[in-house]
Amino acid sequence: MTKNIMEKVAEKRQKDLFADEPVIVDMKNVVKRFGTVEALRGVDFTVRKGEVRALMGDNGAGKSTLIKVLTGVHTLTSGQITFDGEDVQINSPADARALGIETCYQDLALIPLMSIWRNFFLGRELVTNIGPIKWLRRQEMARQCKESLLDIGIHIRSAEEKVGKMSGGERQSIAIGRAIHFGAKLLILDEPTSALSVKETNKVLDYIRAAKERGLPVIFITHNVNHIYEVSDSYTIIRQGQSVGTYQKGELTQQDIADLITGAREK
Amino acid sequence: MSNDTFRIRSLRLFENSPVAGPLITLIAIYILFLFITPNFATWRTLSGIVTAVSISGIVTIGITLLMISGEFDLSLAPMIAMAGYLFGSVSVGADSLITNTLAGWGLPVAVGQGNVTLAIILGLGVPMLMGLVNGLILISTNVPSFIVTLGTRQIYRGIVWIVAGAELLQVLDDPVVYEVFNGRFELLNNFIKNNIIGPESRDRVNFRYATLWLIGLVALYQTLLVRTSFGNHLFAIGGNAGAATAQGVRSAKARVYSFMISGLLAGFAGMVQFSQFKSVRVAEQTGIELTAIAGAVVGGALLTGGYGSVWGALVGVMLISVLRSGVILLKIPFVPADNFPAIVGVTIIASVIFNNYLRNRSTS
Repeated sequence: MTKNIMEKVAEKRQKDLFADEPVIVDMKNVVKRFGTVEALRGVDFTVRKGEVRALMGDNGAGKSTLIKVLTGVHTLTSGQITFDGEDVQINSPADARALGIETCYQDLALIPLMSIWRNFFLGRELVTNIGPIKWLRRQEMARQCKESLLDIGIHIRSAEEKVGKMSGGERQSIAIGRAIHFGAKLLILDEPTSALSVKETNKVLDYIRAAKERGLPVIFITHNVNHIYEVSDSYTIIRQGQSVGTYQKGELTQQDIADLITGAREK
Repeated sequence: MSNDTFRIRSLRLFENSPVAGPLITLIAIYILFLFITPNFATWRTLSGIVTAVSISGIVTIGITLLMISGEFDLSLAPMIAMAGYLFGSVSVGADSLITNTLAGWGLPVAVGQGNVTLAIILGLGVPMLMGLVNGLILISTNVPSFIVTLGTRQIYRGIVWIVAGAELLQVLDDPVVYEVFNGRFELLNNFIKNNIIGPESRDRVNFRYATLWLIGLVALYQTLLVRTSFGNHLFAIGGNAGAATAQGVRSAKARVYSFMISGLLAGFAGMVQFSQFKSVRVAEQTGIELTAIAGAVVGGALLTGGYGSVWGALVGVMLISVLRSGVILLKIPFVPADNFPAIVGVTIIASVIFNNYLRNRSTS
């Protein structure tokens, strides 16, 4: 039955609009073991400059693990990562950040009890050095934060407001605004819309478009097939720690995608 | 219109500050006691409350920084005692195991020949090292700090016992450094006595220098907390450690530093205390950690980390001290003077409920 899908793909094969763009991230034969559990079993994954790529898969398929390997939360067991043309070792989130990989996790995104600007600049504070003391340039950060968010269409009353007061969509916007502000080379969003209302979800999709317009490549993990059609250029399906394939928008029906995710039609 | 804006802005400022809740409670309770408690509205009571707060207040600063980053330190009392013994012995050259051992190592101190500089270095440095050890154990094992310091609390107590030769240390000399750390603040006391209450009054004022040190340290550490990236990282680690790390915050480093600061402040508290009483025992200040935690929590800090302020913690310990004095002076039937902890217990719970209410309003 899978053959059928592949035939369909062949018939409807779409042109990869980004085929000529330089590769931003190239992961080859990535393996990640947690003790005896093999979460990733030799995944190849490539994203090119300017594209929005969705990453799909069932719970536990390994999509979050793949992302966490790329962002330094997990260190890969074996395999190779090339980022922006260079072989890299990503051993910590700080390494990933230094490379220009900006991430917004479901669970590791923001600190609700801190203000918007403090979240925005966390780990990259603008400071004046007074001896060993790193004095925060608070007004400057609040101003830049407000402007950057406004730039991608997010109005906030005050950058002093606590993040806990914001809606889910607004919180995602901070991560996206942060990525653009700091000139990230790649933005990763881990289920950015999973807990949001339809209206909020649409806002987040708008922010993803805003990032794309600025030439920022985006990888986002999602469960929702509709989102792929809304904003992504292509999507990669992960199942049982392996990549099933990468498809262009329009190559598969929603049913095909669902079947590939669940493995309903085994080879 | 401008009036309106002002009102909204001040309200928001108020909501965003962890000091708001405890300060309201403190003022309300203080005013209440002024009206209902005999002898409460005296300088003697006020200066007594303030002096009592000074030493526990210094310790509470350190605890507050730790709690904001989501940690605890239950081993502060032995650090206070350690500082007391080292500072006390070395400052005057008391005939003790410490003085003799240090002299044997060739350090510039001998029996009868104190060394104030060395005394201060040891009084601050050794507790800071004890804090460093706590921090290193924490980050290398990932055992919760509550457990780590529950263990080191006993170990440190044992070390103090050895260093002290299991004896009470008492000195009779009165070097200037004792006056500087915690002498009577006579300039202020006399000023109040002569100009405000009148020399004939039977009311007595007894402020001490420790209060000035406390105010200075509170201002210093509150500034460090909200104006530097170190403070920013402490809030982030306590608020969401995973997010902080993902944003590139080096949490291990910040946490070790905060344990060292906490040790340093415990050491300073130990020296201030010794300067006032000129004696120290092995079991000095046992349980002060819990008082400090209570002060920080009443002062708006979250037990789970990520929220709080040094000002708030100061207000928290003040509140507990005001209650203690007030309740004792009130002589309530069935609540004898030494039963005031029951009242303090009620206040801790009530003020935390109130603080939660204010905090939730500011974040949701």
